[in-house]
Amino acid sequence: MTPVVNTPAIARRRSRGGKLLHAMRRAPGPTLCAVVIFALLIYAFVVPLFSLNPFEFSGMSVLDSFIPPAWMADGSADFPLGTDDQGRNLITAMAYGMRTSIIVGFLSVTIGLVLGGSLGLIAGFVGGKVDAFIMRVADVQLAYPALLLAMIIDGAARAVLGAERSVGTAMAIVVMSIGIAFWVQYARTIRSSVMIERDQDYVSAARITGRSNLSIIVLHILPNVMAPVLVIATINLGIAIITEATLSFLGIGIPVTSPSLGTLIRNGNNFLQSGEWWISVWPCLTLVLFVVSVNILGDHLRDVYNPRLRGRS
Amino acid sequence: MITSTAPLLDVRDLTVTINREGGLVTALDKVSFFINPGEVLGIVGESGAGKSITGAAIIDLLVPPLKRTGGTITLAGTRIDQLSPKAMRSVRGGRIGFVFQDPMTSLNPVITIGQQLCDTIQAHLKLSGSQAKKKALDWLDRVGLPNPDVQFKRYPHQLSGGMRQRVVIALALCADPMLVIADEPTTALDVSVQAHILELLRDLHRESNVSMMLITHDLGVIAKMADRVAVLYAGRVAEISPVGELFNAPKHPYTRGLIRATPMPSTTGEMRLDQIPGAMPGLGSVPPGCAFNPRCFKAEGDCRATIPPLHHEASSAFSCFHPLERVNA
Amino acid sequence: MLNYAASRIVQTLIVLLVISFIAFLLVANIGDPLAALLSADATVNERLELIAKLGLDQPLWTRFLHFIGNMLQGDFGFSYRTQDPVANLIAERLPATVELAFVSLLITIAVGVPAGIYCGVHPNSLFGRFIMLISTAGITLPNFVVGILLIAVFSVQLGLLPSFGRGTVVDLGFWKTGLLTVSGWRAILLPAATLSTFQVAFIIRMLRTQLMEVGQSEHIRFARARGLSEARIWYVYAIKNTLLPVITMLGLQLGNIIAFSVVTENVFAWPGLGSLFLQSIQGADIPVIAIYLIFVGLVFMVINLVVELLYPLIDARVLRRQS
Repeated sequence: MTPVVNTPAIARRRSRGGKLLHAMRRAPGPTLCAVVIFALLIYAFVVPLFSLNPFEFSGMSVLDSFIPPAWMADGSADFPLGTDDQGRNLITAMAYGMRTSIIVGFLSVTIGLVLGGSLGLIAGFVGGKVDAFIMRVADVQLAYPALLLAMIIDGAARAVLGAERSVGTAMAIVVMSIGIAFWVQYARTIRSSVMIERDQDYVSAARITGRSNLSIIVLHILPNVMAPVLVIATINLGIAIITEATLSFLGIGIPVTSPSLGTLIRNGNNFLQSGEWWISVWPCLTLVLFVVSVNILGDHLRDVYNPRLRGRS
Repeated sequence: MITSTAPLLDVRDLTVTINREGGLVTALDKVSFFINPGEVLGIVGESGAGKSITGAAIIDLLVPPLKRTGGTITLAGTRIDQLSPKAMRSVRGGRIGFVFQDPMTSLNPVITIGQQLCDTIQAHLKLSGSQAKKKALDWLDRVGLPNPDVQFKRYPHQLSGGMRQRVVIALALCADPMLVIADEPTTALDVSVQAHILELLRDLHRESNVSMMLITHDLGVIAKMADRVAVLYAGRVAEISPVGELFNAPKHPYTRGLIRATPMPSTTGEMRLDQIPGAMPGLGSVPPGCAFNPRCFKAEGDCRATIPPLHHEASSAFSCFHPLERVNA
Repeated sequence: MLNYAASRIVQTLIVLLVISFIAFLLVANIGDPLAALLSADATVNERLELIAKLGLDQPLWTRFLHFIGNMLQGDFGFSYRTQDPVANLIAERLPATVELAFVSLLITIAVGVPAGIYCGVHPNSLFGRFIMLISTAGITLPNFVVGILLIAVFSVQLGLLPSFGRGTVVDLGFWKTGLLTVSGWRAILLPAATLSTFQVAFIIRMLRTQLMEVGQSEHIRFARARGLSEARIWYVYAIKNTLLPVITMLGLQLGNIIAFSVVTENVFAWPGLGSLFLQSIQGADIPVIAIYLIFVGLVFMVINLVVELLYPLIDARVLRRQS
């Protein structure tokens, strides 16, 4: 008989870090995507620390405009990916653009999460007429494609705030539009989780000990419902960024004078016909790369956290 | 084997394995039996003994990860376990008909009954459209459906469970196969309907003399319908006997336990119900030697050491080292 | 059944009324119709005339009733941007968008259905996996990126197809069609392909999932047990089971088509409803935005209602389940 060695503590420590490594090894695709996302995040936030915003400072010269990527005929090593019509280095421009896109994406997902989460919590916890009303509104809103809603809210906000808007205001409008357009999914998920949790014993126990409703929600129920919500948030991040890019591309998102990937593509589109393809293609590819990676990772996380599939692994 | 006529279906050492994460697990272990022309062989056993797997294995319709990995199957002298997919397709339905268990899920919901019958008929018999339709209507009548021309155009959901099962039987027999395998044909039906369906099967069997392999867990059905019976236990054949002998003088201890565990009035009119202690081993948990030995009151050392082979004696066969003594009634 | 239909219709009407009210509130409270519709040197009389005509001096509920009444008669108000009646603007742009949607539907059926069926019948084949990869791209790529890429390849590099406009258009009086000329067809091809990208990817994935599910069902197994040919099993027995869900989903996707048409029409300078909507957002043209809001809601609600009411008739099993 082998001696029973007491290794629970060591086994636990090994398993926590080792579990992540093991999970990564079993899913090479999503792991690669996570790496790509991380690399792009670094690119978007670190490069701007080392170079000035080409859209705010006039450090570049018009003489440098329309330089093709370095490996092409008239390319130059100073501008590896080429320059745009104002002589801006595309690498810098894209970094700033990516940064704006990601920030807008995160902010709008957060808004959607907070808005949808609160409404979902209220609907699930209170139930009754309040719940029915919120869900009815959600159903009607689902009739409209999110993109369309974002456009309508954006348009209405513009009309209200008038023609003169600062970049900050424009960004706020975009963030709010996308956030409001996307709250429904969060609300529904949280609502159903809350409805399951509120009937659990620990909630009754908390009620008996006299805790207020709010503290029950925040301290007890919330931690249990976050996992599926975070999965949705990841997938929605990709959609949010695409929506922002679409709005900016159409000219009703971030103004052209301040970069996001969408505005870069919009700008570059003007020169597509005349052959300067790189001005819009690089931002396109970067956008696609980021969003596809986020989607694959999000899909994978959703499968991993799917309670119905848990038995399999 | 005493029969002088060659068997219609001859199954020898049929083995089916299932591919599980740990490795290969045996679901059917060298199962052997035969069916004579014109006879009804009952295949009986508990849930999980491998009865349905046997039926599916014969026509090569096992659901993966189940796989046929050994044995030979001969139908009317020709091997059918090594046929090409195309040849196998002509066997299925054309030479061996199959009656599925659940009439609520076996019929395609969006295709009319008449169309399903004609498709089956024309897949195997060279008939024109109108000839096939006539044959289909004929079959609808034979299985006892009123107003065949009306039913012809109907969809499955418009029929009751009992009527649907009649359609299933018609579909199994409409291409005139020589053998029909019925897998729990009445289990999913209301009790009131079960008797009618069994009667129908028996009538059709008598009219056309088609051989039948009747798979069921219900000994009552066996008693009514079968000529001979094969008892399966944990993927192996425990005993094969003519039906009268099976009930009156079973050889395998399991068979007797099975009969006793079925609520049936004894000769004095009392209801007897004796459960066999323990449970049938699941897949992959078969004990060494005879699968029944842990629960058998006659088990001895040799039972645990070697798997008893199927031993043929007079009109029956059994795999037991210490069979029950014949009790003369 | 009749009760159910009646209640659903009433519910739909109520929702439409609510949407109309929200749209009306937008029109009533945002923007200045007087400033937009009158020239700078308008006289006081003209101002008063316009106020009376638009009913701006009436209480809110009366104005709402007029709003609804006008809409039902085909009067959708006046655009702040161009001072034209909105109804005219819509009538002018409608054919372009309808034809675009129609051709993109053709492409979706012609490309998506066979590809989806192939993927469902041969899910693990090389070609099947390749198609799935492309469909993933189709679902995730933003619409305008697809448009730009198509233009880059087919217009700029290959010079085969135009990248903007409708080509030569034939005026049939009430409808200007681009489908009667070769140049019209050449012009509609790329935008329709772009618009259909999402739909094609969606239908491929749906057909594949549906077919794989049906392939596992008991009745297909029974069909095999009867010796029917694989071709018959897949292309008749299996596919018939998938048609209804797929058609339903496509119908419900109409909202997405409307949304994406805005982007596509912008990329290809297509003079349809989508670009009208975009211009109205850029120009804060509230009346047009409001009408568009109602229009999209109407389309979606009506399609939903039709699907809900027709489904039990087509699939009698649903009706039995409900009773």
